[in-house]
Amino acid sequence: MIEAYLERASTYAGDIDNLFSVIFWIVVLWGGLAEIILFYFCFRFRKKEGVKGQYISGEEKHQKKWIAIPHYLVLVFDVFLIAGAISVWYNIKQRLPEPDLTVGVVAQQWAWTFIHPGADGVLHTEDDIKTIDKLHLIENTTYHFELESKDVLHSFSVPVFRLKQDIIPGRKITGWFKPIKKGEWDIQCTEICGIGHGLMPARVHITSAYDHQQWIVQNTPGSSGQAYASASN
Amino acid sequence: MFQRMIFSYFSFRSAAAACAISLTLLGSSLSAQDLDNGKKMYQICTACHGAEGHGNQVLNAPQIAGLDAVYLETQLRNWKEGIRGAHPDDTAGLQMRPMSMTLKDEETIKDVAAYVATLEAKIPEATLEGGDATKGQAAYAVCLACHGPDAGGNAALKSPSLRHQNDWYMLAQLKKFKSGIRGSNPKDVGGMQMRPMSMTLVDEQAMKDVIAHIRSLAEK
Repeated sequence: MIEAYLERASTYAGDIDNLFSVIFWIVVLWGGLAEIILFYFCFRFRKKEGVKGQYISGEEKHQKKWIAIPHYLVLVFDVFLIAGAISVWYNIKQRLPEPDLTVGVVAQQWAWTFIHPGADGVLHTEDDIKTIDKLHLIENTTYHFELESKDVLHSFSVPVFRLKQDIIPGRKITGWFKPIKKGEWDIQCTEICGIGHGLMPARVHITSAYDHQQWIVQNTPGSSGQAYASASN
Repeated sequence: MFQRMIFSYFSFRSAAAACAISLTLLGSSLSAQDLDNGKKMYQICTACHGAEGHGNQVLNAPQIAGLDAVYLETQLRNWKEGIRGAHPDDTAGLQMRPMSMTLKDEETIKDVAAYVATLEAKIPEATLEGGDATKGQAAYAVCLACHGPDAGGNAALKSPSLRHQNDWYMLAQLKKFKSGIRGSNPKDVGGMQMRPMSMTLVDEQAMKDVIAHIRSLAEK
């Protein structure tokens, strides 16, 4: 359902969508049922000539069942929800699959610096490529990301990955994703971080391994006299 | 005698006409910019630079009052196009970058620059210690050609006035020029001119000395 509005570009985007869908339909079911019963009772017990209104304390067993039965049923549904949520949480947040590559993400007021491994495929070496507001990734490659903030709280959000992770100054937060679809999509900060918060969008570019290699060749520091890949790349 | 009078009369008329045309052109070029729109667009800048454009060191925002419109336009354009403030180590420049992107077109850039140019500058407080203005005078010799003997800048060369610039900001910019954080983009013509000049200042002390000299010029 969500996919109709927002593409899925990571391996776990579908899991998040399914969890959202389960929550959505459970809420629709119970919300709809509650409204139907409410309106039915409004109609059923509407004002009638010669019938005096009653005060109902709700202590009788046949009255309490209208609360008790839905309550137990909601708890049963909660079990399914919690089981699904734990499974997704473990898969995305607690399990850290072996990476093919690692990228650095540094947030600041109000820009993103992305640090890509160069031709050696290793981060934090001399051939790292830094870009502003543009993250370059290879399709079907498992990435670890290292999040850091230079100043205040930020949040790294890639909607097509269904990824959102807060960034806390002073900490390096590691996570993972695996892009599965070539294209160009939004990256957002989703934690109010100052007056320019709404002005720090970035883009993720997912390409084939060959195209990414070409990009590395063009942007490796020193190879073309560049100290960093310019913002327009 | 009569001929000389006639000649003087026409010379005077020519000069007066030239002055009138110049003033008209100057007036029309100033009025061409929409100061009301510039003031409106400046609202977002007030958060850091203040309503009077006097800046705020805590927010890395320098005084921009006192700068000429041409320089302001150039810098806003550079930020917007990623020519300035797009280096990963330029933390303060990266703060300014998204702000420049709120200026949607060339006219808006000119309007806001024209408005800022109308703001009255003040002599900012000194925040640096240890600068020797006498030593700085010698180092300033290389700056003279563009920034002028009184540090008032030169609009024709797009060199800004330094007279009302914050000392902490000048130090930060000199360090950025020297390290290549600013002025290393080939499209940054003014920045690339400034880079080799910053190289003549051997260390931070030399930078403080020249800044102390610039402040002494402003206080005269």
